Amino acid sequence: MKIYFESLAMHLKGELEYRVNFILSFLSQILVFFTYYFIILALFTKFDHIKGFTLYEVLLCFSIIQFGFSFNEVFARGVDRFDNLIIRGDFDRLLLRPRSIILQVLCSDSDFVKSSRLIQAIIVMIVALVHLHVEWNIWKVITLILMLFSSCVIFFGIFLAAAAYCFFTVQGLEVRNVFTDGGKHMAQYPIGVFQKGFVWFFTFIIPYAFVNYYPLLFFLGRKESILYAFSPLLVILFLIPCVLIFYWGMKRYASVGS
Amino acid sequence: MSFIEVKQISKTFRVAKKKSGLKESIKSFFKREFIDVKAVEDISFSIDRGEIVGYIGPNGAGKSTTIKILSGILIPDSGECKIDSMTPWKDRVKYVKKIGVVFGQRSQLWWDIPAEDTFDLLKDIYEIPEEEYQATKEDLIRRLNLQDIINIPVRQLSLGQRMRCEIAASLLHNPELLFLDEPTIGLDAVSKQVVRDFIKQLNREKQTTVILTSHDMNDITSLAKRIILIGKGHVLYDGSLKKLQNHYETEKYVSIKTNDKLNIRNKGILKKTKTKEGYDLTIDTRILSISQVLNIISKKIHIEDIEIDHESIDNIIVKLYEDYKI
Repeated sequence: MKIYFESLAMHLKGELEYRVNFILSFLSQILVFFTYYFIILALFTKFDHIKGFTLYEVLLCFSIIQFGFSFNEVFARGVDRFDNLIIRGDFDRLLLRPRSIILQVLCSDSDFVKSSRLIQAIIVMIVALVHLHVEWNIWKVITLILMLFSSCVIFFGIFLAAAAYCFFTVQGLEVRNVFTDGGKHMAQYPIGVFQKGFVWFFTFIIPYAFVNYYPLLFFLGRKESILYAFSPLLVILFLIPCVLIFYWGMKRYASVGS
Repeated sequence: MSFIEVKQISKTFRVAKKKSGLKESIKSFFKREFIDVKAVEDISFSIDRGEIVGYIGPNGAGKSTTIKILSGILIPDSGECKIDSMTPWKDRVKYVKKIGVVFGQRSQLWWDIPAEDTFDLLKDIYEIPEEEYQATKEDLIRRLNLQDIINIPVRQLSLGQRMRCEIAASLLHNPELLFLDEPTIGLDAVSKQVVRDFIKQLNREKQTTVILTSHDMNDITSLAKRIILIGKGHVLYDGSLKKLQNHYETEKYVSIKTNDKLNIRNKGILKKTKTKEGYDLTIDTRILSISQVLNIISKKIHIEDIEIDHESIDNIIVKLYEDYKI
């Protein structure tokens, strides 16, 4: 873990070398983020609610997903941009070091410019919470924390599985964006608003529903069962196949070469 | 048992077959044809502790593939490889602590920050004890003359300065085995000399085993007593450099400065050309020794000056490649 924080500090040091670039990128990220935000606002000028979810409920959902996604963009950039490691051949170097490969991939890159999105996600979440009139209790605090946590976990898993794809080919990387960016855009809305097939898919295959739907129902007081509050923990299971896929791809890479 | 034992290693790559032209590109988009390229085939050799071995061969001969297999990056299709009783690709974490690898064409230093920061990070990656780390670092800084460059962001360093930092970075954990893949590529004469001297010293003092690949034959001649020649994936020659030189060095060149006219005919003289100042002769030393040549000439003409040259190692290598048709 120490190595990870040290690398993080070094990346920050490196990024701050280019000061103007850092500031401009940071600001441009704010604009990008607000386009997403305005789309949702625009939608709600036409409709009062989407399948029973009001504007601020959707915004809460949106901010939680954005939080997890941005968190990984900042702190797990190496996994997100894993194709760079393969293309530049730097992955070979990782294999020459006596440490876990996933840890080293995590250390290999970070992008502090994206932390502007992280901050905005938190702001939107606070705005949503203020307008929602939630009846707070300890369980709801835990639920909210678990939702944020599982949001980080699920995107880490997806990034990792997408990274494994690079072991096979570095061409056609757009395919993986269907699962990262595409998934993110869908999951900005409570999964329950979609068709049954989608709900099934996002419950059992890529478990977005455990991040922003089942716990949300509990949080908003629509479900009483405490199981809903702890359902985000199931997302950890999702990591297992993702890690396995990554190591499987790595084995193949080592026996196929570059 | 030797330090490094490589037995019948083979490795085949599957490469997508591509022809030129848009039509072919579209065709290959829908239906890919693959061809198997044998990168290395049946490679065997053993290396003792403390040896410096030059691993040479033309581009695409399989040098990098072998280095990658030996360092545990690639898994061979078949064959065995034991280094210090470990198999590189099976005991990865334990094994890589004992080796250092320098890729001349790739950097392991962080581009935007000073080399010393990278060193500090490597210390934690390799879990080097603080005292040992400080001692090794001081030693490397002194030997490679890094005092003034270690605190400058790497991107501002010259290639020679950067390479010296690269080598230091690969040696912080005191590896027993060092792979150098074209360590002097693109360096000027002085930097090359610094790198060579350093490697020689390292080998002498710490008994570090070195496997070196390079296209600069001067690297090889000044460092390695033994070479392994590889071509088209096979080991073609494994032995002393001296023997190879003796075998191929059958011609010597003599330049004579004179005002007289030289009439000389001998089977041992392969070529005679008139130059501005005298004559150039090419001599087959298997037939005619240099002293015989001098004897004959000095009787016939007055020699103002004379220069004797032997075949360059590069020419020997060209001949060698021609002989093996690689």
